[in-house]
Amino acid sequence: MSRRSRFLPVYTGLVIAYLFVPIVVMILFGFNDPRGRFNFAWQGFTLQWYRELFDIPELTTALKNSLLVAGLSTLIATVLGTMVALALSRYRMRGRSALNVFVFLPMATPEIVLGVSLLSLFVTLGVARGFVTIVIAHILFSVSYVVVTVRARLAGLDHSLEDAAQDLGATPWTTFWTVTFPLIFPGVLAAGLLAFVLSIDDYVITSFNAGGTVTFPLWVFGASRIGVPPQVNVMGTLIFLIGVVYVIVSVVRGRERTGSVGAGALAAKTAKG
Amino acid sequence: MPASLKRRLTPYLLTLPGALWLLAFFLVPMVTMLSVSLQEGSLEEGYRFTGHWQTYTEALGKFDTQLLRSIWYGAIVTVVTLVVSYPMAYWIALRGGRRKNLYLLLILLPFFTPFIIRTLSWKFILADEGIFLGALKDWGVLPDAYQVLATSTAVVAGMIYNFLPFMALPLYVALERLDPAMLDAASDLYSSRRQAFLKVTLPLSMPGVFAGCLLTFIPAVGDFVNATFLGGVNTTMIGNVIQREFLTNNDYPEGAAISFLLMAAILVGVLRYVRKMGAEELTV
Amino acid sequence: MTDRERELRRLLASAPRHNVSRRDVLRGAGALSLTAWLAACGVSGTNEDGGGGNGGSEDDGLTTTEQNGQFSFANWPLYIDRAKGRRPTIDDFTKDTGIEVDYKEVIDDNESFFGTIREPLASGQGAGWDMIVVTDWLIAKMARLGYLEELDHSLLPNFEAHAGQVYKDPSYDPGNAHSVPWQSGITGIGYNPRLTGRKIKSFDDLFDPAFEGKVGMFKEMRDTMNLTLLGIGIDPQQATVDDAALAQEKLIEQRDKGIVRNYYGNEYADALVREDLWLTMAWSGDVFQLQFDKPELEFVVPEEGGILWVDNMAIPQGAENPIDAMAFMDYVYDPKVAAQITAWVNYICPVPEAQDILKKADDSYTKSVAKSPLVFPTPEMESLLYHYKDLDEEEEEAWNDLFGEVIQG
Repeated sequence: MSRRSRFLPVYTGLVIAYLFVPIVVMILFGFNDPRGRFNFAWQGFTLQWYRELFDIPELTTALKNSLLVAGLSTLIATVLGTMVALALSRYRMRGRSALNVFVFLPMATPEIVLGVSLLSLFVTLGVARGFVTIVIAHILFSVSYVVVTVRARLAGLDHSLEDAAQDLGATPWTTFWTVTFPLIFPGVLAAGLLAFVLSIDDYVITSFNAGGTVTFPLWVFGASRIGVPPQVNVMGTLIFLIGVVYVIVSVVRGRERTGSVGAGALAAKTAKG
Repeated sequence: MPASLKRRLTPYLLTLPGALWLLAFFLVPMVTMLSVSLQEGSLEEGYRFTGHWQTYTEALGKFDTQLLRSIWYGAIVTVVTLVVSYPMAYWIALRGGRRKNLYLLLILLPFFTPFIIRTLSWKFILADEGIFLGALKDWGVLPDAYQVLATSTAVVAGMIYNFLPFMALPLYVALERLDPAMLDAASDLYSSRRQAFLKVTLPLSMPGVFAGCLLTFIPAVGDFVNATFLGGVNTTMIGNVIQREFLTNNDYPEGAAISFLLMAAILVGVLRYVRKMGAEELTV
Repeated sequence: MTDRERELRRLLASAPRHNVSRRDVLRGAGALSLTAWLAACGVSGTNEDGGGGNGGSEDDGLTTTEQNGQFSFANWPLYIDRAKGRRPTIDDFTKDTGIEVDYKEVIDDNESFFGTIREPLASGQGAGWDMIVVTDWLIAKMARLGYLEELDHSLLPNFEAHAGQVYKDPSYDPGNAHSVPWQSGITGIGYNPRLTGRKIKSFDDLFDPAFEGKVGMFKEMRDTMNLTLLGIGIDPQQATVDDAALAQEKLIEQRDKGIVRNYYGNEYADALVREDLWLTMAWSGDVFQLQFDKPELEFVVPEEGGILWVDNMAIPQGAENPIDAMAFMDYVYDPKVAAQITAWVNYICPVPEAQDILKKADDSYTKSVAKSPLVFPTPEMESLLYHYKDLDEEEEEAWNDLFGEVIQG
């Protein structure tokens, strides 16, 4: 093999390795046994933090808050976003391109502007900031991502199956639940996962709209002032592992599906003539 | 209701909840923020809408350095992530074969971990006497007083790391969609691979480059978390200023005005970029 | 151009493009700003009153005179004793009185904390906390704005009996109408002698170019400005706005020469331990605590003078559980409890009798706490210490503007 064709894969491998550096450090120091409250010098291996994961009440509460907010906002944002995605891809409607842009705009606005504008609204209306305002904010920035993700999925599907169902006499409602939804489900799932991750992760928008409620990133930010406890590393590691599981499942399912999807696509193409 | 009417109304009904949400919590807040920026007063006295513009001119005068700095950092981050991501996206999209998805997921996997933990990790890694710099100093490669943290280098490096997927993903999507027949034709036509790339692949991937640059530049200019953890003196970004105005000083009019200045700066940056891109598109 | 090239160009021109259209984005942006304009014109004239003025000025008294069995408490981090993830004093309090405490360490510095509660207080909604601990100047300011409840001293017998004289009836809160001290402390210099290579004695050491990039300063305006004024030989109590401008110049010089690494809140301690900082402005008790992680660290009061401040417990206006909060206030003035807290926190204890209790302790660490002039100041120490200048609204704004320029490079 020529040197040229080796370069790119090696380069890619290096970049990917670089991307994992802070993750490795985070995982490693979840096993550290620091003497004092500062976790920055390796002092010994321990599994203690995995056992004592929920020993810090405020951290546990913050994590719970984050999970609750993420769950709620993901649910609502996925529903809202999927509906919009369906409307935009499947139907003719007036103002479609304007709606397209409108949905895209939050993604193209800096987070700080989103957070600050919401704060302005809440202050003007005299609404106290807390759990509810956090959920509202999270739904806001998630919806756009859901729309884009589900639309990408919808774009790849053709109408033949749905047309067939309707020809057979199914109502639009039935068609949706028995044909469309199962087909777009992977896209909806991916969108939901994306929204969930964005929500758990969010610091900027939440910091402006949280009031007294503390979410996981907010707690970590505060703790970074005086010393982040190793439990945070452990929680980060566990969240990362969930991602690893997702990757493995995707890859395995991808390999299984390649065969059937290919066949299905071939069949559909042939049927269309 | 006749079925045809229902069918015509369906898309509007479907979009209604989502659109209303965006209207209420994206558009209206923007208008509110604009209105707040034109008010004067304080929390204790109450605010009055005066429509005076001097909040903007004052803010611009006070914080022009931070604004320019943010645009500058944003530009550097965009260029560097583009240069770093392109070869990687190219290889995965066009030569990744069956394992394409795996590689893509591998790029995204680290970013599954919360942003704040990742950035704190970098703060730890780049510490003056930390595992990386400390070792280099012990070996005499670096002078003892050398520091990375609390400099603009650390802030930009942190931003590059954190915004890499925002650039890599659109690039990958654009490159992955290229018609292989086109690329084959190109390599038949042009004698060197470099030429084929420059004349065909690169121009065709421009929409991805454009999307990636937008999706990287815009959030980068408004970022302040990297500056908070990794920065020091003289690395204050406009996002830090906005945060301080809103949360510490409670000076909502000034904070709102600066936010609009930020959006204006982004718009200007994007427009200049678009005009340049547009011109290039014409000559292809 | 060959036929082949022409063909290729035609192919390129017809190739499907990615959906993100620049024109769409621009059109959308244009539409957004236009709508905003129109809407703003429609909004003009509306009095977007944040409810200012009605918050707190009419003090109708406490919301209740009963104990509710719980209260929420916002405090600075590491400002109460800890053991194995629990807080003994809080647990003891709950055991003795049955009152649950929702304790959160959310205060990083006075200004940013005040920023979070100011707006609800101004609109009369209550701060969301039953009890807070803030520094003397903020007590004065909040009391002036009517944001603090008045204390019922009949519920605070321990305070009357055991608090040190100097803590009763302070100038920032006459008669302790709104607050009682939590801990007191000194702003001075914390440093690592191994890294600095010499003993640090003077405020000017913080400006020594030999320590370029290794010096920490506070982002809390009053600490930094007052200490700098002392450093240039001006008594803070006499300082005028011009003097403050002089202090600001010195600070800007320090920043532009690259001597300051950053302006810190509580995280200076982390930086000091990590050796990112060699010397820094510091709070006395923090450095004492840090010596557990890093015994070589030292705290010194600059020879030009240090700042003595008092952090106080206070009850924000509209608190739902004021009586429970006051029960806690009184509880910590029991000398045994005060000793327990100070033994861990290592700040200046407002209960002199605690010193005798600590002296009788078994371990050497606690005995050293009992003997330290940083925790129980001697008259010599006290002669070196000054208080923050009391700023009125105008001065505060002027000083804030001056200092803002320094830290927002």
